[in-house]
Amino acid sequence: MSRPYVVAQVVARLLWGPSVVVAISLIVKGYTDVGDGFAAGVVVALGLALFYVALGASAAELALPFLRYAPRLMITGLLLCLGTGFFPLLSGEPIFSHLPEPGAHVATVGSLELFTPLLFDLGLFLLVVGVLTVLLHQLAGLKGVAEDLAVPPVDDAPTGGRRP
Amino acid sequence: MTLLATVLLVPWVAGALLVGLDGRRRPLAWSAVAVLAVGLVLLVALTVRVASAGPVQLVTGGWPAGVGIVLRADALGATFAVVSQLVLLVAAAHEAIPGPRARSFPGLVVLLAAGLTGLFLTGDVFNFYVFFEVAMTASYALAAYGGRPRQLRAALVFAAVNLLGSFIFLLSVAGTYRITGSLAMADVADGVLRAGANAGLLVAVGFFVAFSTKLGLFPFHFWLPTVYAGSRPAVAAILSGAVANIGGYGLIRFGAGIFPAQLRMAATALVVLGAASIVYGGVLAVSRGDTAELLAYSAIGQVGYVLVAVGVGGPVGLAAAVFYSVVNALNKALLFLTAGLRGPLVAGAFVVGALSVAGVPPAAGFVGKLTLFRTGVAAGSPALVVLLLVGSALSLLYMFMNYQRQFWRSDPAAGTTVSPLPRRALVAVLALLVLALGLWAEPLWQLSQQAADLFARESG
Repeated sequence: MSRPYVVAQVVARLLWGPSVVVAISLIVKGYTDVGDGFAAGVVVALGLALFYVALGASAAELALPFLRYAPRLMITGLLLCLGTGFFPLLSGEPIFSHLPEPGAHVATVGSLELFTPLLFDLGLFLLVVGVLTVLLHQLAGLKGVAEDLAVPPVDDAPTGGRRP
Repeated sequence: MTLLATVLLVPWVAGALLVGLDGRRRPLAWSAVAVLAVGLVLLVALTVRVASAGPVQLVTGGWPAGVGIVLRADALGATFAVVSQLVLLVAAAHEAIPGPRARSFPGLVVLLAAGLTGLFLTGDVFNFYVFFEVAMTASYALAAYGGRPRQLRAALVFAAVNLLGSFIFLLSVAGTYRITGSLAMADVADGVLRAGANAGLLVAVGFFVAFSTKLGLFPFHFWLPTVYAGSRPAVAAILSGAVANIGGYGLIRFGAGIFPAQLRMAATALVVLGAASIVYGGVLAVSRGDTAELLAYSAIGQVGYVLVAVGVGGPVGLAAAVFYSVVNALNKALLFLTAGLRGPLVAGAFVVGALSVAGVPPAAGFVGKLTLFRTGVAAGSPALVVLLLVGSALSLLYMFMNYQRQFWRSDPAAGTTVSPLPRRALVAVLALLVLALGLWAEPLWQLSQQAADLFARESG
């Protein structure tokens, strides 16, 4: 991006904080009200998208250095989701059972309920933020993306070679 | 129950880890192969249990069925899961021998295995869609493997057409929920009986179009030759031997399991479409000089047999459809992998594949064709038997024309290099498997019959 607009840059920086706060509130109230990890992830990713648009990819990744770890974020999120989904296997219960069990007492911090689905939602949040950031990064066409495509010499003919 | 959850967990976690690492390193590529092998062993164990003790079912969270998502392994799903996993394993090993050329390849194959396993082992229509998308997303990325313009073109066509197919599938899922108020397959099957005939037919046609597009049946085949001929041999083997199984499985599961009344109503149309597919694929394959393109048209013809068998229906027809789907998946994987290789053992493996496609003993395809002939006889239709015969004759013709062109050429100076021995040994092992399946077809045939008996209530 050759001439980024100042207004957009300022708005992007100003909106980043509120978007994180909104995301947190979406996760906290998610179980009794509208909202969950997915929605929260999308809100944060929208904030990030604004950064990418206003600053350009390289400047955005300088301003928010954690963006470089997006692939790791995404994989951690997926593993966290799988972990919370499949851990009941260890005790021989059906997968996706949650702790404390339905109807049991749930500890709360304010209106935040502390039970295993919260971890699942956090995993989902990380996964969504990670995936969307990776997509933004790729779409912004950063150098280094094309490295993968440099094809080393072929060791066998591609199937499609027309034979005389 | 634990086994059912474990077969899903293993490839999913491993796939998530592997996509994050550089798959071009040999050890990682081989660990992907190891994961697939472990998955295959677990799936075989699951299949044995299902075959001996009946379907295994699991409801997530211990909720009542209908609230929780149902995972269910029965003979049909387990059979398809095993054969798909086997094809993925062989294709991944084929690429791991020289070392994959893209960092994401091993991870994507393992994630594709997770998607396919989930899809074949779910008892819930929407969950089917979710795993379907997991599998398709992985295969869109795989189609571009190689990174040359040819492969990118193939990937673009594949993704565009199949996204459209997935969209039609999603619309049909929404329609199913609208007319039955349920998403668990068992409840949906009951709900469809009570729903209006037109609404049921509309949704059933939606599913048929979606699965036919995946499978590459005659009127929906247009994307297939470009994609199969353009992608790398291992990817073509994965797409035709594992991903296309979604279509065959879907036709049987949704057609016979959920919409049996609509299936009976449309039986003639299905048989006609299948016949068109057989003739179209066969005739065009004869006219192709390029091996991969020939195999692509052959694939269009071969899935026609599956559709004919589904259309005839009944225990005999459905068992034949399951059996032939499995044999066809192995044939296609073998032939696509063989087509990219040169050197000793390769011609032999190709001949086994060719014999199997044509339905000549002792290859597995012979037993497959035999079951199809039984289907034709059961349907009491001489025309169908003649059609099957013509189709087989055509496939014998094009396979051996191609064999001559590939392996009997007298100019060894054409610059063909001999492929590495492990790769050739791998296709030879797969060829032996196809032969063994032809000589000892009893277990697979039993499984196919068990799978068909699942639907005896509906079709009887």
